[in-house]
Amino acid sequence: MASMLEFRTPGFNPYAVKYSPYYDSRLAVAASANYGIVGNGRLFVLGLGPAGIQPEKTFDTNDALYDLAWSEINENQLVVACGDGSLKLFDLAAGDFPVMNFAEHKREAFSVCWNPIAKDSFISSSWDGTVKIWSPSRPTSLKTLPVGNCTYSACFSPTNPAIISCVSSDSHIRIFDLRTPVSAKYHLTTVIPAHAPPPMQSPTLPLLSTGQTFAGAAPSEILTHDWNKYRDTVLATGGVDRVVRTFDVRNPAGGPIGVLLGHEYAVRRLAWSPHASDVLASASYDMTVRVWSDGSAVPQPPPPPQQQQQQHPQASTIIPVGTQLGVMNRHSEFATGVDWCLFGTGGWLASAGWDQRVLVWDAHTLLRG
Amino acid sequence: MGALDRLSQLGNQISGGASSSGKAKILEKNPDDVVVTAALRTAITKGGKGGFKDTYAADLMAGALKGIIDRSKIDPALVEDIVVGTVLAPGGGATEMRAASLVAGFPTSTAVRTLNRQCSSGLQACVDIANQIRAGMIEVGIGAGVESMSTQYGPGAVSEFSELLESHPEAANCKVPMGVLSEQMAKDRGITRASQDAFAAASFQKAVKAQAAGLFKEEIVPLKVKFENPKTGETKEIVVDRDDGIRDGVTAESLGKIRAAFAKDGSIHAGNASQVSDGAAAVLMMKRSTAEKLGQPILGKFVAASVVGVPPLLMGVGPWKAIPKVFELTGLTKDDVDIYEINEAFASQCLWCANELGLPQEKINPKGGAIAFGHPLGCTGARQVSTLLYELRRTGKKIGVTSMCVGTGMGMAAVWVAE
Repeated sequence: MASMLEFRTPGFNPYAVKYSPYYDSRLAVAASANYGIVGNGRLFVLGLGPAGIQPEKTFDTNDALYDLAWSEINENQLVVACGDGSLKLFDLAAGDFPVMNFAEHKREAFSVCWNPIAKDSFISSSWDGTVKIWSPSRPTSLKTLPVGNCTYSACFSPTNPAIISCVSSDSHIRIFDLRTPVSAKYHLTTVIPAHAPPPMQSPTLPLLSTGQTFAGAAPSEILTHDWNKYRDTVLATGGVDRVVRTFDVRNPAGGPIGVLLGHEYAVRRLAWSPHASDVLASASYDMTVRVWSDGSAVPQPPPPPQQQQQQHPQASTIIPVGTQLGVMNRHSEFATGVDWCLFGTGGWLASAGWDQRVLVWDAHTLLRG
Repeated sequence: MGALDRLSQLGNQISGGASSSGKAKILEKNPDDVVVTAALRTAITKGGKGGFKDTYAADLMAGALKGIIDRSKIDPALVEDIVVGTVLAPGGGATEMRAASLVAGFPTSTAVRTLNRQCSSGLQACVDIANQIRAGMIEVGIGAGVESMSTQYGPGAVSEFSELLESHPEAANCKVPMGVLSEQMAKDRGITRASQDAFAAASFQKAVKAQAAGLFKEEIVPLKVKFENPKTGETKEIVVDRDDGIRDGVTAESLGKIRAAFAKDGSIHAGNASQVSDGAAAVLMMKRSTAEKLGQPILGKFVAASVVGVPPLLMGVGPWKAIPKVFELTGLTKDDVDIYEINEAFASQCLWCANELGLPQEKINPKGGAIAFGHPLGCTGARQVSTLLYELRRTGKKIGVTSMCVGTGMGMAAVWVAE
């Protein structure tokens, strides 16, 4: 891990880091004073250059910042999710104040995501139990999708501009399809209980491909999720129960199609690689960032049938377990943000943590080390 | 958007949140727990006859407080407040207890007060200290209790009731003597003499066994006091280090021969009611973080307490109402608790409460109770803490409840965890 770049955010604890979709040398970090519990927020826009990471611009806010998203339509703009429930659109070329302020959420806004296809809209999610759809040019929301409990993260599908997903503290993944009629369900098309095991013919616990039984069946808060960038029906979730799960949204009752075990505390942020269909990174309160393969690129070897039959004659379902490719343990506090660089050879990551540091590093070095 | 909401949300994300049961939650160790780092008592001796018959309450308290300093090695200047529960002292004993703390070695900067919630005064003192620590008012404090029934028990304990009080039926009930109302309650609730005597005999037998095995040694601090020999009139110094009310050879049959005290056909007598006694107890408490900083040994922690009111004539049912309430506060169930220290004011009421709550006999007062070694009113609540915590530790158990009925119709209960 020799070649690692570092930037410090003194006095502010980062909650999110995102690469610009326009430049391989530009990053933004959403950070909060006092761990986001009380106090101001600060948005850092950083440039990568021969002299390391340099701040290009900072924006201050009156309440904590929990997430950010770069505009997909204007390379100078980005939107932040603020502790007072507002979303603020900043422009690098337009002074120190937000060019737009979107104040509708009644509690902390926890996530923002820009629509990567229909680039004229973004969404936000909040502790007030709603997901809101916005246009960057209109001060009021276009639509409000009710969730009903603290919604930590909302995402657009990377392949379909009308599909929105969100995860929340009730342990469920919800998928909305804006093409469906509003009806009583407000476009809600799919609900996946993330904790639920696959359906079983027998009451025994499902098996993991490692031969262990899988006990993670108690509901727990889901803090983060992300869509796979290649397989358009696959997403991954992470949360308080420390397990990263992957799901195929076409089979909402089928349980996870894979689990990744290893984090020792809650998983705070997930990001699928834009370069490989089976690779994702996760940042956790256990202070590590881990890079995983969900095993989908290589066919799973079938478990030795004889042995399995003897040990667990009743077990009918085997959940594949992914492989941990590497652990980045240089953060000395909760790791809260991680993002992949879209450009270059692939494998460059930025991570941020409550240790007031942003680290930029190459995942390949983990594989060697 | 409150900071506390955000903090507790983060806390739940880290701890896994609602998945842990009430029991798992209270067994967790957190820096802001209020912990007990020393708990002790004097011996408890017979009123008017025992080793402390010539010792004033304040002297007993001074001895117990000095014991706390000696045992815990705490710098007395760090103790910010001492609360002493005491029932019979004229003027609430406020002056004497302040003086006693100075004698014990506490500096003038240590505050002292007394309180009186009758038989639960000692527990209320501990709870007050715990709450003061929790609220951040003090860092380190002592909850204590004392009673010298030899020197202060008597008709002066309650002043005359005014006409106004007498004119209100329920108010007037407050001065009905406890023996009389307990007798009536035993009759009404069908608690037989035989079952009371069996319960009382078991208390004696458990206490005898515990005393023989030296189980009270850890909690008792020996006191050197003056004692006047009633026969010769000669006064000498003696060391009191054991409970002298515990009698060997008591059986349900031997108790069956004693004449009832409050009614001809009654069931309550000197052998199945608590003894009139002298004694003091003290509990040193602070936050876990403070204890760790000071290197204090942690005996256990205070979890929660409840207080309830019941009709004055049914004061004996206090624990039956207070214990479920403290379960509600903590999310515990009765099966989560390993030991119940329920004060034996009368065998009748203690037995009734235990039966109504469905508590197994073997979990109640495993070292005997007030029937065997006495009930110095203000002391008992603080005494139960050391009795409970040392027994939990000895047996490798965790969760205990202390509870008692309170004269004039109240009940208190508290949950403690041994570590």
